Amino acid sequence: MSPALLEVRDVVRAFDGVRAVDGASLDVHEGSITSLIGPNGAGKSTLFDLVSGFRRADSGTIAFGGHRIDRLPAYRIAQQGLVRTFQTARALTRMTVLENVLLAAPAQPGEQLHRNVLRRAATRRREREVRARAHELLELVRLSRHAEEQAGTLSGGQRKLLDFARALMTAPRLVLLDEPMAGVSPALRGELLEQVVSMRDEHGVTVLLVEHDLEVVMGASDRVVVMSDGAVIAAGTPAQVQDDARVIDAYLGVAT
Amino acid sequence: MSVLASGEFWAFVGVVAGIYTILALGLQVEFGFAGLLNFGHVAFMAIGAYTMAILVVKAGLSTWLAAPIAILAAAVAGVLLGVTTLRLRADYFAIVTIAFSEIVRYVATNEDGLTGGSQGTINLAKTGEAADYNVEWQRFEDWLQGILHVGSNDVAMLVLVWACALSATALVWLAIRTPWGRVLRAIREDEDAARSLGKNAFGYKLQALAIGSALAGVAGVFYAWQFAFFSPGDFAPLLTFFAWMIVILGGVGRAWAVPVGALVFGVLFAGTRFFDFVPFTWFDSAERAYLRLILIGLVIIGLVLFRPQGILGRREELVLE
Repeated sequence: MSPALLEVRDVVRAFDGVRAVDGASLDVHEGSITSLIGPNGAGKSTLFDLVSGFRRADSGTIAFGGHRIDRLPAYRIAQQGLVRTFQTARALTRMTVLENVLLAAPAQPGEQLHRNVLRRAATRRREREVRARAHELLELVRLSRHAEEQAGTLSGGQRKLLDFARALMTAPRLVLLDEPMAGVSPALRGELLEQVVSMRDEHGVTVLLVEHDLEVVMGASDRVVVMSDGAVIAAGTPAQVQDDARVIDAYLGVAT
Repeated sequence: MSVLASGEFWAFVGVVAGIYTILALGLQVEFGFAGLLNFGHVAFMAIGAYTMAILVVKAGLSTWLAAPIAILAAAVAGVLLGVTTLRLRADYFAIVTIAFSEIVRYVATNEDGLTGGSQGTINLAKTGEAADYNVEWQRFEDWLQGILHVGSNDVAMLVLVWACALSATALVWLAIRTPWGRVLRAIREDEDAARSLGKNAFGYKLQALAIGSALAGVAGVFYAWQFAFFSPGDFAPLLTFFAWMIVILGGVGRAWAVPVGALVFGVLFAGTRFFDFVPFTWFDSAERAYLRLILIGLVIIGLVLFRPQGILGRREELVLE
């Protein structure tokens, strides 16, 4: 088997002596949909922060595509194609929905001020491409109607979808979705899940997601990684994990 | 005749409003577009003014060379301050900037050998020598006055300052519409979201600080030219808060709100300086001075109360979370 796209090894992160992540190791293979589950306080979100560079690990290593990323700033990690979303959607409220998505476009020369003068044509050309793609993505998450509205007018669930569209706009290799279904209406959940799967199938995007909706997790994931008390206690196919006594113990608190 | 009826007086008010426009425009770039709470903006105006005056008097440079160097010096000072402090959280950054501006003012007050000390630029040259950094500028203004066929230097200056202020505003207005401006606004909204999408928030904030400081430097150079003499007291923290008032009165996050805010502010401050008509003549001049400040305060409170978004701001943006 080829080396994993994301390799997390013995990562530790403590807050005031409490080890939120305590020697966690996991692999995410290219082209897979991997779910990270575990009870509240298991360290899932902290692990996301560590992988995406929003926090530094105290020890351990994180490699993406064979290169260490555990000392890189968050924006550099994102530029390499490892893009995260947040548990609470981070809409840029005083910008339009369309602008929110446009912002995420990679390789826009106009993001350097002087190039708007020196490379005016290239900037405009890229802006047209990016605009077309942004409209496609908004169509995908059913936000086209709101494209010109301020993102602050969107509901919580819509912001979640906007976050998702924004992450896709970056053309990521690996996307970390932090509870993508939370706050999204049940009607849209199925569709969002389809989007996640087609994103993998059509664009080869690898997905690592934290999710509490076990139906979603078991139905769509290739692999499931279970965390408890800061460590990974089990990993395998949904079927394997479901039958693991340690998982039932940690997750339900009681073995049945 | 009342001073208020004199064109000369209003030309002067206009010049000051123009200088304030350039100063406050820098703050708009920093706060309105990048979300930086800079409470020490006046420091960069001081650095611009002093660098220009010192280079002309002490190094014998032409004012035309000294001015761009002074503006660059203000920008570099902004970058240096930013590199060391921009990683601080917004409120801590605000505290550091106000301390920085006081440091600049105290250095200017106490380093007599460099800045002329508390006596100001008159003391820049050796005893007995004239410390005039403004000869070339004066000559230029006279020439401009002739070309424009206007009655006074102040009117010539008015045209010049506003030409500069409005072009700078237009440039900022254009810049904020580019993808670059989009990133800047995203950082103002949510720095983490911008970082998660691959934007180097720190780098952009540094650029905003450099541009904002350079604009303050331009304001400082114009200030020095206009008044032909200045001292550290001219760059008290109050001036920073004048710039804040202009940005807030005009509208946060709107480039054209800055000249509008500066005009309103300028008229409010200078236009109330001479209350030599009824009912104000019922009071003696000391009482009138306080009455003036009370009135200015009331007008500002009223504006903020009834137009919290500023004159050109969008009210709906205030309620978005």
